[in-house]
Amino acid sequence: MMKRDKKEDDNGGLNPFSYLEKTSVLQEGRRFNETPINPRTCCHILTKILYLLNQGEHIGTTEATETFFAMTKLFQSKDVTLRRLVYLGIKEMANIAEDVIIVTSSLTKDMTGKEDQFRGPAIRALCRITDTTMLQSIERYMKQAIVDKVHAVSSAALTSSLHLARQSPDVVKRWVNEAQEAVNSDNIMVQYHALGLLFHIRKNDKLAVTKLVSKFSRHSLKSPYAYCLLIRIACKLLEEEGAGSDSPMFEFLESCLRHKSEMVIYEAAHAIVNMKHTTAKELAPAVSVLQLFCSSPKPTLRFAAVRTLNKVSMKHPAAVTACNLDLENMITDVNRSIATLAITTLLKTGSESSVDRLMKQISSFMSEISDEFKIVVVQAIRSLCLKFPRKHSVMMNFLSSMLRDEGGFEYKKAIVDTIIGIIEENQEAKEAGLAHLCEFIEDCEHTVLATRILHLLGREGPRTPQPNKYIRFIYNRVILENAAVRAAAVSALAKFGAHCEDLLPSIVVLLQRSELDTDDEVRDRATFYLNILRQKQKALNSAYILNGLQVSIVGLERALHQYTLEPSETPFDLKTVPLAVQPTQEMKTAAVAGEIAAPKATEKIAASRQDIYAEQLSRVPELANVGPLFKSSNLPIELTESETEYNVRCVKHTFPHHIVFQYDCINTLNDQVLENVTVQMESADGFEVVRYIPAPKLPYDQPGTCYTLVSLPDDPTAVTGTFSCTLKFLVKDCDPNTGETDEEGYEDEYVLEDVEIVVADHVQRVMKPNFGASWEEVGAENELEDTYALSSMKTLEEAVKNVIQFMGMQPCERSDKVPEGKSSHTLYLGGVYRGGHDVLVRSKLALTENGVTMQITVRSTDSSAAEVIARAVG
Amino acid sequence: MGFSKLASWLGLKKKEAQIIVVGLDNSGKTTILNRLKPDNEQRHDIVPTIGFTVEQFQTKSLKFTAFDMSGQGRYRNLWEAYYQDCNGIVFVIDSCDRLRLAVAKDELDLLLENEHIRNRRIPILFFANKMDKRDAMSSVKCSAVLGLEEIRDKPWHICASNALTGEGLDEGLSWFADQVKEVINSKRK
Repeated sequence: MMKRDKKEDDNGGLNPFSYLEKTSVLQEGRRFNETPINPRTCCHILTKILYLLNQGEHIGTTEATETFFAMTKLFQSKDVTLRRLVYLGIKEMANIAEDVIIVTSSLTKDMTGKEDQFRGPAIRALCRITDTTMLQSIERYMKQAIVDKVHAVSSAALTSSLHLARQSPDVVKRWVNEAQEAVNSDNIMVQYHALGLLFHIRKNDKLAVTKLVSKFSRHSLKSPYAYCLLIRIACKLLEEEGAGSDSPMFEFLESCLRHKSEMVIYEAAHAIVNMKHTTAKELAPAVSVLQLFCSSPKPTLRFAAVRTLNKVSMKHPAAVTACNLDLENMITDVNRSIATLAITTLLKTGSESSVDRLMKQISSFMSEISDEFKIVVVQAIRSLCLKFPRKHSVMMNFLSSMLRDEGGFEYKKAIVDTIIGIIEENQEAKEAGLAHLCEFIEDCEHTVLATRILHLLGREGPRTPQPNKYIRFIYNRVILENAAVRAAAVSALAKFGAHCEDLLPSIVVLLQRSELDTDDEVRDRATFYLNILRQKQKALNSAYILNGLQVSIVGLERALHQYTLEPSETPFDLKTVPLAVQPTQEMKTAAVAGEIAAPKATEKIAASRQDIYAEQLSRVPELANVGPLFKSSNLPIELTESETEYNVRCVKHTFPHHIVFQYDCINTLNDQVLENVTVQMESADGFEVVRYIPAPKLPYDQPGTCYTLVSLPDDPTAVTGTFSCTLKFLVKDCDPNTGETDEEGYEDEYVLEDVEIVVADHVQRVMKPNFGASWEEVGAENELEDTYALSSMKTLEEAVKNVIQFMGMQPCERSDKVPEGKSSHTLYLGGVYRGGHDVLVRSKLALTENGVTMQITVRSTDSSAAEVIARAVG
Repeated sequence: MGFSKLASWLGLKKKEAQIIVVGLDNSGKTTILNRLKPDNEQRHDIVPTIGFTVEQFQTKSLKFTAFDMSGQGRYRNLWEAYYQDCNGIVFVIDSCDRLRLAVAKDELDLLLENEHIRNRRIPILFFANKMDKRDAMSSVKCSAVLGLEEIRDKPWHICASNALTGEGLDEGLSWFADQVKEVINSKRK
């Protein structure tokens, strides 16, 4: 015994499993085959195997199957611990090993046996290895188990049914009566699980769910967990219906605020404050419940309350003001997480005058809280800066001191994001922010952040009053950092050289030093930039240094691949590559307003949407020779009312000389099959329909796509028009149950709404990071100027929004944000016209008594493009 | 531990044997095993086995752990996973199912040729089950169709049985127990 203790001391309490090796453990697994079985040894070996599996160790199918079969021999042991480990082993191996179905009968025997310790785990294991085809054979046992009088067995069966419902919903649906019976159980867990299953079975039937909620909200459930679930279901229903506080569901939620269990009270309060359309009056009881929790002796309750209040304070700061006194008391809470949330909540609800005091309070314990909560603080500061721009100096100092502290990547990233955000929103904070970031990259271990900051410095630095002071910081990176950062630093340096003529000679010297770098990428960049800078041509600088590549990366890859497949004499033309789609302004604002995590996903989808369309279109052989896809319209246009017989949505794809209309159709009649579906289009504006590509068959509820190819008029300035559309098809009646169709059909048609082609369809948004340089690059050759009076616009913001929408171009230099209280504004727009011609617009707007006056100057590499854009507003 | 070793050495404690029960589906394997258990543990509903189950029963001198394998076509290839460390094989035949006797013979041949069975002297007990049915074949005829005479290197025995009443089971099992005990003893030495 003494010896063992000493050994453990030597290991310093290390994990005894940390040095396990897969092959030797699996080798040990052969000992399962021995007779008689030694339960102690086998338990130990099984634990090792489970440990390895949970560590993510990959075990091959053959090895796994061998171990699994050895494990099945352990069914002869009656040792409870060993058998329960075997059940765990079966569950873990269910997806790796083959023929796991072999233990089905053994498990059914155990789940119906006398030993209660075996029954629950056996049910869980059985449901893991059973697929839809086998489920029939165990259905009877599952039904019995759901209503079993042993609670653990019943709960196991209910939760397993929930898992099964994912793959075989139809079978599980038949167990509804048993679930119903289990809801009446007097065990709180069984009741909760049964309600969960019941809801899952009925969740697609809204009426049934409504009934479920109203039934159980009336005769009271015993389990607080079930209550919480019921609250969530009711909440979801309320949201779907958009019902207000007069709904019985809402009454139920409110009644839960007076429940005896704290869990239920909190859940109800949480649900009410999180609903989309709540008025202050509805919110009041929920907030006052949370306020009570704030002074609870239980830290969990205080935490839950303050966390929820923190969230509410974003949407309804006024409602939370009532709790300010309680929140103030919580600043000194011994639990730092609670204190942090209290302060950040106060920051959001408080007035400008209290900011300084609160910030001081936070900094006193910043070092004691975890990264996760530091991020909460950073986010609070960000929203504060938006609210009180004048306080930026306090915030910036605070952020920079946070940057200097220890912290993980997520935390530093949040700070850097916030500083960048503040710089973009607030011009006054720019210099201070850049200085802090410069200091940060001097000692930054995260390559991603360093490259990002260097890119920002390259973009913003040259345009500050004293660009030379950033050079030292950037060049230090070239000397000290890894290859990725060096490459970014070289690019940033080149931007300074391109923009500031007085710095050019020094930059050239610095870049020359990088020509001998050990890394290919750094060397290539330095050489490339040097050669361009030595030309001393503004146009070249603008095109190759200041403005980066603007094509979509996926599109470029596909185009190059295509080019290598079909080599031709003509060199590869970059203009044939589809352009990268700029995220539109609405998306960006949504990203700021909403949660931080959510919009990332949507942005990604939006960026690749056009690539998906391009891929789809390239698969249609009839559209092979229309050239590369230039642009796809943003959101599909609905051409039918919702809930009509057929749903048709249109997406416009612009090609160099054609427009393809893509119609996504859905047939909502289950007794009809449509065949040979086309959309006939007619226009008076010189557009000509070249070809219809029908959707061969449109069965019930399955989306189908047909295309119409339209050629553009010869006159390059005639680009807009209206089409009347008719859906034409052959109807065949069919039996909704069997899906059998009649032989004979008849022709029919259905009138759709008109489709318009507008100027924006011919223009792709392109961000020009340095508008001034691009303006000079395009030159005054095709310059057009015009003045309009926009009498219907009452404010500059409105005018800016409409101009952007009409032209379909990208606002540059953040000129889409009109500073408050100004009567004139200049809007810079960048874009590429169909055929790959750059178009730039400078639009000077002035607020007059009768609306807005606009002087618009258009420059383009193509004369007709300039003409089209200049006329877009008129 | 010490006591049980001593007890088994004195022959007080029963020896344990692992056996495997195979045969085509619906031949009565699970029913036979069910019949061999004590009266109070017997079940009334016998359903087709999926995969396998483990059953335990005793004779006068031996304690058997039986792996009751599923006879359905799709699981037969899984039998071999349990050959390696069994001390005896029980092969159950449905003596009314003349048509599928050929299938049973194929399965038996496969079994005998398995690398874990081929070179071992392992006793095989055949039950020609369902002898109570009117068109049942006799055990002699079954053995002729299965070509049992050709098995020379293993002790084997066939007896007609009725799993529902238990008729014939004891006879077969007492032979089997003796053979298995002999095999286990020879292994120990």
